[in-house]
Amino acid sequence: MTDRVFRMVLWIALAAGTIGATAFQRATPPADMTARAMAAAETFLATLDSAQRAKANLAFNESTRTVWSNLPTGIAMQVGATERNGVKLGMLTPAQEKAALAMVASVLSRDGFQKAMQIVDADQLLETRSAPTRAPGAPIRFGRAEYYVSILGKPSTTDRWMIQFGGHHLAINVTLAGRQGVLTPTHTGAQPASYSVDGRTIRPLGGENDKAFALINALTAEQKKQAILGVAVQNLVLGPGTDGKTIAPEGARAATFTATQRTMLVDVIREWVAIIGDEAAAAKMKEVEDGLGDTYFAWAGATDNGKGAYFRIQGPAVFIEYAPQGNGPNNIDHIHTMYRDPTNDYAAKAATR
Amino acid sequence: MSKATVAALTIALLWPAGASAHRLDEYLQAARVSLERTSVLVELDLTPGAAVASAIVPLVDRDADGVISPAEIEAYGRSVLANLSVSLDGQAAALELTRIDAPSIAEMRDGMGTIRLRAAGRVDADSGTRTLVVENRHLPAASVYMINALLPDDRAIRVVSQVRDPQQSSARIEYQIGPGGIEEGAWLSIGALGLFALAAFRRQSMARPAAHATVEVH
Repeated sequence: MTDRVFRMVLWIALAAGTIGATAFQRATPPADMTARAMAAAETFLATLDSAQRAKANLAFNESTRTVWSNLPTGIAMQVGATERNGVKLGMLTPAQEKAALAMVASVLSRDGFQKAMQIVDADQLLETRSAPTRAPGAPIRFGRAEYYVSILGKPSTTDRWMIQFGGHHLAINVTLAGRQGVLTPTHTGAQPASYSVDGRTIRPLGGENDKAFALINALTAEQKKQAILGVAVQNLVLGPGTDGKTIAPEGARAATFTATQRTMLVDVIREWVAIIGDEAAAAKMKEVEDGLGDTYFAWAGATDNGKGAYFRIQGPAVFIEYAPQGNGPNNIDHIHTMYRDPTNDYAAKAATR
Repeated sequence: MSKATVAALTIALLWPAGASAHRLDEYLQAARVSLERTSVLVELDLTPGAAVASAIVPLVDRDADGVISPAEIEAYGRSVLANLSVSLDGQAAALELTRIDAPSIAEMRDGMGTIRLRAAGRVDADSGTRTLVVENRHLPAASVYMINALLPDDRAIRVVSQVRDPQQSSARIEYQIGPGGIEEGAWLSIGALGLFALAAFRRQSMARPAAHATVEVH
């Protein structure tokens, strides 16, 4: 009898808990970022005419969300599409462009948005340098006008939808799902990787580079032996077009790192994670730190900062690659990077809930 | 002398000895290897840099009409596979071309066109530690290589180590296969069968007309 009563109480408690949790989830307001993004998306869409709106706002599905690339316009992307989703900045009025970039900024941190625009500025320089020697009719184009912005799905504070902003060396893919904001998969790159504006040197991916070099040089000889692969790695292993794939981890395991080395590793990872808005970045960094002991750091190339080197960080919920492409003095003037989450690209977890 | 040999020699002659690595001057060949119990799958992405594309294009566009036909890209894929070897525990495994995609010639000449080749080989790998050796000898004078093992879908298979030569033209992948049991997929199948049986039972008991089932066989 006592056992029966105990079971009844247990079932009632479980049911009450489930109902309570569900009610709490429904009552909890969406994260500020999602609300801001939704408002900014609606504002942007309102600036467009119907034809532009049809191009800018597409369905959110596997066929559309995977259309992004490191490549410039005029080249078929890795997934086969010949044009990015959305409308390109060069076809927008100043007011429309302002609204488009405000929408992009709504899901990024201040530093993340600045990094994205520095990559765009680098590409504008590339366009200025390459245009005079380009063959007439050549389809490849670089420059600010060739960056596309799109909204996949209906902007919402509860359902999954996405904002994409991309062009040569940039694919910002932010998926929003209620309280969740997910930046993966995202590609950043730069060519030139260093340039001057008003006498100031701009290195869009300088933080990533310098912090990683500091980390490799902070490792002990034994740790370096584990981390350095001893081979030349010429490009991203899991670049655009390889969604859903994961490679076997290699390198030094962070479980062997000192507290200082772990902090340095976290700082490198933050360079990618903190591109997204602060609330989403903080949640993601906690997840990264929870899995830090099982995270690997691999290196290929020189260990003197100023020379080209490839590195990779791979943990339970993070996959990062940084790959110089072999251009310029010391092979450092053309960089590709990739940021993935093997468990939650495109907010996959939200889809299975 | 075959066109392939002429092109390889041309590349070798144009290739400055000791030149620093430069993407434009290289033929990047990146392989990803999937390990399964009874097969090995190889994905090979081939991207000629702009400066070597003029030597690679004639190997693909054999009739030089400016268009890569399906027959031409398939023939090129087979010539690449002839230079790609896979062996398991010392036993060679023949690779079959399963798919190949060609970029446009213009994209190749710009150094941004990638040929995507997919191949599969049958292996008979029992439980235990296995060693797979992958070697790519396609156009070594102009090429840089990458070889990486993908994380196996089968959780009973675990990659233990990957040892490559400095150029990554060959890799020795050691992996362990756990004892065969009922895999996740099998459990899902059992679950699906159970649901099917339940649905059939309900349908029978409710005397409703049956829906048509669609079965795809690959």
